[in-house]
Amino acid sequence: MSVKYSPVIWNRNKIIYDFVMLLAVAVYILIFIRLAPLVSVHHAATDGPIIEMRAFGSCAFLMLSFVLSIGPLARLDKRWLPVLYNRRHFGVMTAFIAAAHANAVLDYYASRSATPPAVAVLTSNTSFGQLLGFPFEMFGILALAILLVLAATSHDFWLSFLTPPVWKAIHMLVYIAFACVTLHVSLGPLQAASHPTLAIVAFATVSTVGVLHRLAAHRTTAFEQANATADDAAPEWIDAGDPMSIPDKRAKTVNLPDGSRVAVFRYDSKLSAVTNVCVHQNGPLGEGRILGGKVTCPWHGFQYRADNGCAPAPYTEKISTYRLKLEAGRLFVDPRPNAPGTLVVPLLLPGGTA
Amino acid sequence: MAIAGSIVLAAKVYAAAGACLAGFFLTLGIGRIDPAARGTFVFRVLLIPGTVLLWPLVLMRWKALERQQH
Repeated sequence: MSVKYSPVIWNRNKIIYDFVMLLAVAVYILIFIRLAPLVSVHHAATDGPIIEMRAFGSCAFLMLSFVLSIGPLARLDKRWLPVLYNRRHFGVMTAFIAAAHANAVLDYYASRSATPPAVAVLTSNTSFGQLLGFPFEMFGILALAILLVLAATSHDFWLSFLTPPVWKAIHMLVYIAFACVTLHVSLGPLQAASHPTLAIVAFATVSTVGVLHRLAAHRTTAFEQANATADDAAPEWIDAGDPMSIPDKRAKTVNLPDGSRVAVFRYDSKLSAVTNVCVHQNGPLGEGRILGGKVTCPWHGFQYRADNGCAPAPYTEKISTYRLKLEAGRLFVDPRPNAPGTLVVPLLLPGGTA
Repeated sequence: MAIAGSIVLAAKVYAAAGACLAGFFLTLGIGRIDPAARGTFVFRVLLIPGTVLLWPLVLMRWKALERQQH
């Protein structure tokens, strides 16, 4: 079974998602450009190019903050899952807006200096030895470079080509980008502001991202502990049908009576079952596949061993595993989750070898 | 000024090298190392920026995957 790559896999939900996102960005930029001259919070007089620069820059900052908040929000409240579902497009759009901000900055320098704009940006401020007046542009350049790399490697091909651990490591750089953007804003626009509004908005935004991550991490820990101490009442095993209907190195998802879902993977004539929910950001593991011998989340490439649900070293994430049995050629799933990281010997298909 | 000019020049050379590699990799190499890319071409356009930005990594992986196949 081979799935061909396509440029973008569209569906109705994704089209609506992208439309709403583009509309929100356009409305924000237009409102900012209209209102900024009336309620300027900066000492210096502002003109068109500067307002344009700030409109795109503030939009990129808010978008990056939101894109980092979607994962924790979805873990805390499942009603956010539809927003998480197409977050990849949100991230790419964030990189485009950040690039538009950089382009506005280059235009600004081009209109005021005979030096090539890119050189002018690098040489306009070289006070590296002091905190106040530090060349904050450098943090912006680094953040933009990271966001462009993330957007450029967002296609599924890169996950397979670079291998999930490398792809994941690259995409964790988004947190470095966020730190750079925060420094960029703190050492740049905030220093020039005459009113505390901008500082309050920036502080509230960064704090919200941090608090949401902390709350989501706490929720995950509590969930793992609850699973580990689940009672041993013995409910009915769930009929998962013909095991051969599961494509090789792919999964079939099975609904459990409590509303949760299990992903049953077939690989190397063996079967293993894990929860359908990736601990990273609730990605649907059952829509992923076995890559390099491990269950690979289709969203961000998080990997787990199919038999024990443990992420390969040096990562420490664990997911719940489930017991399986074959009876009269049909596959059955024990609906009781094992504690995350529990080894379950894979079920051998007839003719398979351990 | 001279250092800034050198940084900008280095970035241009890096991008030019990446563009050359993208030309070879996305037309000739990708189909050899990934069966899911064979016979499908439009998506390759989306891979140009990533190949240009990460071309040393792409070169390493391409080489490693070619070796695995032989």
